[in-house]
Amino acid sequence: MTALLTGTGLYRSYGPTPALRGLDISVAAGEIVAVTGPSGCGKSTLLHCLAGILRTDAGEVRYRDQDIGLWSEAARSRLRRTDFGVLFQFGQLVPELTAAENVALPLLLAGSGRREARKSATLWLGRFGVGDLADQLPGAMSGGQQQRCAVARALVTEPRVLFADEPTGALDVLTGEQVLTEIVHVAREQGTSVVLVTHEPRIAAYADREVALRDGVLDPTGLGLGLGA
Amino acid sequence: MKPATLVRLAAGGGRTDALRMAFTAASAVLAAVVLLAAATVGAVPELGDPGDGSAAWNTRYSSPLIAEPGLRPGVVMTLLLLAVPVLFLAGQSIRFGSPARDRRLAALRLAGATPGQAVLLAAAETATAALLGSLLGTGVFLALRVLLDHPEADGRRPLPTDVLPGIAAFVLVLLLVPVLAGLIGAFLLRRVIITPLGVVRRTRSRKPRLWPGVLILAGVFVPFVIRPLGEFLAHAGGSTGRDLSIAGAFVVVLLAVVGVVVGTGWISYTGGRLLHRFGRRPAVLLAGRHLMADPWNGSRTLSALLAALVIGAGVLGYRAYMVTQFAASDAADRLSADGGEGYGAENSFYLNSVDLVRVAVAVGVVVAAAGIMVALAEGIVTRRRTYAALVAAGVPRRVLGESLAWQTLTPLVPAVLVALTVGLSLVRGVAQEATAGGGGTCDGTEAQCADLTSPYWHLSPEVTLAVPVPLGQLAVLGGAALLVMLLVVGVGLIFLRRSTDLDELRIA
Repeated sequence: MTALLTGTGLYRSYGPTPALRGLDISVAAGEIVAVTGPSGCGKSTLLHCLAGILRTDAGEVRYRDQDIGLWSEAARSRLRRTDFGVLFQFGQLVPELTAAENVALPLLLAGSGRREARKSATLWLGRFGVGDLADQLPGAMSGGQQQRCAVARALVTEPRVLFADEPTGALDVLTGEQVLTEIVHVAREQGTSVVLVTHEPRIAAYADREVALRDGVLDPTGLGLGLGA
Repeated sequence: MKPATLVRLAAGGGRTDALRMAFTAASAVLAAVVLLAAATVGAVPELGDPGDGSAAWNTRYSSPLIAEPGLRPGVVMTLLLLAVPVLFLAGQSIRFGSPARDRRLAALRLAGATPGQAVLLAAAETATAALLGSLLGTGVFLALRVLLDHPEADGRRPLPTDVLPGIAAFVLVLLLVPVLAGLIGAFLLRRVIITPLGVVRRTRSRKPRLWPGVLILAGVFVPFVIRPLGEFLAHAGGSTGRDLSIAGAFVVVLLAVVGVVVGTGWISYTGGRLLHRFGRRPAVLLAGRHLMADPWNGSRTLSALLAALVIGAGVLGYRAYMVTQFAASDAADRLSADGGEGYGAENSFYLNSVDLVRVAVAVGVVVAAAGIMVALAEGIVTRRRTYAALVAAGVPRRVLGESLAWQTLTPLVPAVLVALTVGLSLVRGVAQEATAGGGGTCDGTEAQCADLTSPYWHLSPEVTLAVPVPLGQLAVLGGAALLVMLLVVGVGLIFLRRSTDLDELRIA
């Protein structure tokens, strides 16, 4: 498979502490890759670097054969709005906006009209089973419902790559698996690649491939959480 | 809980807690200095001899504002007014970094503290910071007293640097600020439920009603009936009636200020609805929803600024009235047969006295703006995780900054206009025109003067001039407030930039 996104020789440190130490990774179009490893091994940093949220200290991140590390902050923001979707564990929804407005936000930023953005948002909320909550504020929803809204927002622009950092970390097992099943289903349906950061084997099992990290490099044992590299 | 444990736990927070304590202490320093200055002016003795007509003038001071007993209460009042925005600043400082404090209080609850002990700790933290500030402020006051003590060649002083307030005043000021700060701290936690698993804030879901508008209208229109009512009461009830009309005027001013401040909640909500209804851009939508979600934030944060503007507009109106009154007196003097001296050189003295209040209002606006800056920074820091996640998802920081500007300025612009209108109306209700002359003197005998048409009578013509609306000065005051707020928003954008640093995603 042709690589859609590659990271080569990625190095990133926080002060004197290295988080990534010359790591290589590639993600093919439509592929679901689980990045696993113990706490502090550099999983989230890798995701942030691949998504253009953080710049690497050394190495390059190429998306569709372009080195996004050379792009400006604004250009990388645009990329995350158009081609990438980003999903975190919690704290993503704007508390004052309704579910539909939260989901419509990326479309409005991309220049869509309010009516069509709202229509798309409602559609996507419906796909994730929370269509009837379109006019609710996040504070009035459960954690699972909020996360479904966040997933809808991350996918509403039909991104080519979805970056998910522990997307089910704040949910109970059943809800977490439901949300993940829906993410995988939609990703497969529209050919979206997914970079999924997790430390749970059952979540990693949803991926096509597992990339295990240890101390900022690929785990030399290659065992990871058991899915196999 | 032992007092020592209470103090140790209250003062044992993290960096944000230390910053909050520093802000609170700094505002307590300002409050202590201002209040002690007021107490000092109040303590100036009256040295004059009532027998020779110099009643109570204190000749030790060159500034008439201090020397003249009639003006001293005005100076004290001005300083006390100045303390109001400073106390508001303390109120805003107490809120700073509340999420970090909430987490700490929740952890203490988990360790076994009762809800009452948690609130007591929060109040104690605030009171301790304020007490330190009060003590430091007292030191600053005593140092300033020495530094500013410059007697002139004739031995007189421009400021009462040779007078100290009584011990009771010192103790009162030292305790007043910490007690007030502690009470405000406890008051702010009234909607907060501190549980061992976290902090729950009860929000007001009720939309702002229109009743504050009634208070604003009272502020605008009631002054127009105060004068005739006061004249009627004074005529019917003598001095009691006059006192009643003065008390009525104070109540009207208070109602107007409360109306403007509380009415800003309604203005925020309505402004938010309009932005949400008609806004097309995401920044406007975000701002609209933010204003609708917490309309009281506007009235809470802008209250000191708006109170300063109401008073400032009133002072400008009164100054315009004074200038017109002097002009009318001069005109009446010129028209009278024998000519008069008018107010002459005294004009500038009285106008300078009013200008002193204008300076106090300007300082009040700046202090209020500092309070708003603290509140704005606090709001940004509280929401930093959401902001950082939005930026990570590709939302440009410019959109968030624009939203911040919309949500600050949308309620501010109409609220400033309302505050200026109300402040001006308070004065114009009783002083739309200035009248001078119209009297007469008679240098004849009693019998000769009995006939009002006799040539012994020297009548001066009555001159009535309309008091102009000081539009230019009001525009400067309102413009300055908006400019200061733009600066505040600018600083807020710097905070926003730092708070949307994507490292927040790691530490959130």
